[in-house]
Parts: sequence; structure tokens; C-alpha cells
Amino acid sequence: MKKMIISVLGKDRPGIIAAVTRILFEQNCNIENVSQTILQNEFSGIFIVGVPKSLSEADLHRHLDDGLSPMGLHVYEKRLSEANESRTAVESEPFVVTTMGPDRKGLVAAITAIMASHRVNVTNLQAVFKGGDDPYANIMIYEVDIPNDANHQALRQELREKALALSLDISIQHKLIFEAINRI
Amino acid sequence: MFSEREILSVVEMLKNENLDVRAVTLGINLLDCASDDIGRFTDNVYARITGAARNLVKECDEVEDKYGIPVVNKRISVSPIAVAGAPFNAEQMLIVAKTLNEAATDVRVDFIGGFSALVEKGIARGDRALIEAMPQALTDTQRVCASVNVASTRAGINIDAVLLMGKTIKEAARLTADRDGLACAKLCVFANIPQDIPFMAGAYLGVGEADAVINVGVSGPGVVKKAIDRAVGSNPDLNLGQVSEIIKHTAYKVTRIGELIGREVAQHLGIKFGVVDLSLAPTPNVGDSVGEIFQSLGLASIGVPGSTVALALLNDAVKKGGAFASSKVGGLSGAFIPVSEDLNISQAAAQGHLSIEKLEAMTCVCSVGLDMVAIPGDTSEETLAAIIADEMAIGVINKKTTATRLIPVPGKKAGDHAFFGGLLGESIIMPVNNATGENRFLRRGGLIPSPIHSLVN
Repeated sequence: MKKMIISVLGKDRPGIIAAVTRILFEQNCNIENVSQTILQNEFSGIFIVGVPKSLSEADLHRHLDDGLSPMGLHVYEKRLSEANESRTAVESEPFVVTTMGPDRKGLVAAITAIMASHRVNVTNLQAVFKGGDDPYANIMIYEVDIPNDANHQALRQELREKALALSLDISIQHKLIFEAINRI
Repeated sequence: MFSEREILSVVEMLKNENLDVRAVTLGINLLDCASDDIGRFTDNVYARITGAARNLVKECDEVEDKYGIPVVNKRISVSPIAVAGAPFNAEQMLIVAKTLNEAATDVRVDFIGGFSALVEKGIARGDRALIEAMPQALTDTQRVCASVNVASTRAGINIDAVLLMGKTIKEAARLTADRDGLACAKLCVFANIPQDIPFMAGAYLGVGEADAVINVGVSGPGVVKKAIDRAVGSNPDLNLGQVSEIIKHTAYKVTRIGELIGREVAQHLGIKFGVVDLSLAPTPNVGDSVGEIFQSLGLASIGVPGSTVALALLNDAVKKGGAFASSKVGGLSGAFIPVSEDLNISQAAAQGHLSIEKLEAMTCVCSVGLDMVAIPGDTSEETLAAIIADEMAIGVINKKTTATRLIPVPGKKAGDHAFFGGLLGESIIMPVNNATGENRFLRRGGLIPSPIHSLVN
């Protein structure tokens, strides 16, 4: 078995996961992880699968593309190297950064640039920009890991200053707070 | 991964609704500091307190920083001094109070509680010395808080002690006449005092407690009010069963945060975590008021007919939500209605909606009692004692904690204004029935026996 990552993109409709997994099953592939999400009406799915050595990457693509392109779906596959699994883990604490404020271009780029400069890893991002000035219509929620040895104060201050410059209301809270309140 | 709604509701609670941890209180056992030599005793006490609490404020600040949730007050409670310092006379008790004040100042806590005596069944030598020292001790110190338990469901009401407290409160007021009787704001008289209250002025560390313990007082009247406002806004026809559910859910959330912070502070300090006290404790700030909740519930003001039942609903819902949220609940756990400390309640008193009698009725269904009530300076010792005794009876018969923190403001009369400052707030002086009259019933003294339902064994 070799490991492949497959991504599927296209307009959402019933039967996408069924179609993808039927093809994988027929080709004797083993699914290890699946994640899917729907943004507005667009479907996006990522599959990590074990593929038999006998099945070439070109053949896998052909099977998937034949089955999925009639449904208007785009498929992309990539071989996973073993080295991919060993991103050196950094000791970190999970935080949730939330912003609300008027929509404009470059908001995500501005916030994430500061995070990246402090080696903060974004583990989940939900952003909705419906436009206009209603703060609740324009929200970014970042779940992030902040390295323990990062300069927390400088990070907070830079984020706050940037948020102020962009007229955003920002909140930086430890993830445990959300867990304590929302999870039993 | 959290949903957008979950995230935003938490952010909202933190940002706009004054969600905080009201008090992290480190309980310190002083019983092994015992000595009949006052110098040795105070040295031991000072060393014990400053040793145990050395990092309290620093650790609280760090946890506050990490979670972005303010720990508003860092405090210390100690073993009842009347027990720990039983051999001493009143003058020596004053020295002990000053030592406590110095230790509290040096570790940067705003209050230290435990200048206390437990006299519900009788007054021992140490108790009498401590009570005698109280007026001067509360005048000469800034941070020391005192409490005296004069009644319990198991023991009855010690009217001799109640009379003594009437006298003591008058004297404390007289000594701080230039500050509207401020010393009395640091003195609580209790029935059924719990051993683990984190809130001042009633905090002390019970004799049944360990060497050191962290107790946490959560708060959140602002959060409860906003939750009610939001729910009523989206459904104006909400019935009271549904209101109770909303308060319960909110209390749950607030308590979870309190416990999270408390446990983390305790872990950092290497001290056992004690209890979460689920009380709605107001401050004189707008948006942080228990009184405002009554208006959100649809009453014209706290004090009008319907206030007692509203408070009963509120108090019960807070307890139910909190009890599910925390594995260790203790202290007072109920809603506080301190008049001067809650802007809205003191306004209700000023506008004539709230009388001392209605306050007393409300204390039947909530924790604490006649709290931070400013009364005319010419109220007699006997009348003070009678008000205290009435409040104690409510606690003793209903098997609950009640207390009084009364301030007979020297030289001022009903309708005048008393100002205590800071968290203690300000208030109009409330009229008292038969303030200067005599009370032969109380003057008989003695012990009112415990009620029949205390015989439970």
C-alpha cells in the first residue's frame, strides 16, 4: 500500500461522497481519513487513502475522473511521502482568535501575516464576509496553536493594533474557556 | 472545532457582560501558629500568611493573562482568630489584627478575613477578647474583615452575643464617624456561617478545613441580566419557567469559568482546590447589578411586590445551573442584595421602592441577609440587636445562612447619604422602625433554643 491524498471540488449535490467512495472501493483502496466542508454551495472533500501497489497513480486518476467529471467535480491526487507525517511538534497552547468588523479586502492576510511571524499555526479557520458594516455579518474565527516560547504579549499587541487599524473588534481567548462553557 | 454560535456567545459574555471571577480566596490555617506569647504568635502568623500567599497575586495575574478573564479580587481567609489566639486579651487581639493587616498589605491582597469568633452557643474568653477588640481593630486597619457567628440551627440564637454585637457595631461606627461608620462595613454577624466563603466580609477558614485551600467566588449578575434581556427581546411572551431555564444555563457557563480559573490557580500554587461559591455578587458599576435583573424580569424596581418571588426564582436557578457545572460547590451560593454595593438597589432605596422590612423578607429566599444597609446613626444598641436577632431567626428556622452588615451612620438620619467608597459603594440611609426605642424582649438575654427540626439524629 502507498498513501495518497485526494481532493474533490465542485458544486454540492447529494451523492458526491457515495460516488467517490464507490470508485475507491472498486479499486481496492482503503480510506484512512475524510474531511469535507461546504462553503456557500461549493463542496470540497479531502480523502487520505491507502492505494494498492498494483494500481498506478495515472489509473487511479482515470477511474476517479471518469466517474466524477460527469457530476461536474474536479479531482486532484498527490502521493504522500512518509516524511510528511513528522512535522516536528512544537509545545503550544490552543487559543481562539475572533474578529468582527466591517468587510474589506485583505483582512485575513493582515491577521495571518502577524500570526505567521510569531510561528502561530492556524488549525481551523472559519470566516464569513457578507459585506456591509454589520459586525455580525463579517466574522473571522481562528483556532490557533501559539508556541509556548512565543512572545505572547507582543503577539497580542500586534494583533490588537492591526485590528484597531482595520476597525475590527478582536478577542484572543484560550480554547479551554470555550471548552469549559460549551462542552460537558 | 466549535460552531460560530458557540464562539460568539462566549466572546459576547466576556466582552460586554462583565463576566469575571469575582474572588479567588486563599484559605490559610493558623491553628498551628498557636502560642501564649503574643510576639511569638504574631511572628508565626505573619510568616505563615506571607509564606503561603507569597505568589497568590502573581499566579492569579498570570492565569488572568492566559485566559483573558479578570480575577477581580485576590483575598485571604484565615482560621478564626478567637480560636487561634484564644489566650489573648483585647489589647493583644488588636496587635493580631494589625499583624493580619500588615501581612495582607505585604502580599498585596485587598482584604483578609477571619478576625472572627463562633459564639452561637456561648462566649469563650478568646471570643470575648476578640469582640471587644473589634471596633478599634476595624478602625486601625484597612484590610481586616471580621465576622461573628451568633446563631445556628443546631445551637439556637445566642441573644447575649447578639446584644454584644449591637454594642460592638455602635462602637465601631462611633470610632469611624468621620468615614460614615466605615468599620461596620467590614463586620458581619452570621447565623449558620459556612466554613469556606470566598466573599468578604464573611470569609474565614473553618476549623474543619485543611492547611491551605483555594476557594473561588464567581459572579456574573451582568451576564444573567443580558441573557434575560436577549431572551425576552427575541420572545416577549417568555414564561417564568423558560426564564428560569435561561438563568440556569447562564449560571452554568459562569460557574464553569470560575472552576477552570480556580483549579488552575490552585494547581500553580500547589494548593488544594476547595469550592466554587455560586453567588451573584454585584458591584457599584452599571451593568454589574443584581437589582437590574429584577427590572429585566419585569418588575418596576427591586423592592416592589413580586420582588421576593422573583429573587426566589433567580436564586434557585443560579444554584441549579451552578451545581451541575461544578463538582464542588460551597460558601454562600446564592444571590447577594447588598444595598450600598449595588447601584440599582441603593437607587431603589432612595426612590422609596425598597424598605428594610422588604429586604428582610427577601433574605428568606436568598443567601446573606441585610447586607451593607446604612441606617440612622441614632439607632440604639438594642434596636440594632433586635434587627440582627430577627435576621438570625430567619436563618436558624430555615436551616440556611443569614447575616447582617448594618452601618448606623453617626450623625446622619434617614434620607441622608452615606458614602463608603470603592466596592463598598454608597447609599441613602434607610429608615428604621422604633430606631431609638427600648426593647425589653431582647434585653432579657440568654439563649433561644434550637428549633425542633434540629433534632435530626
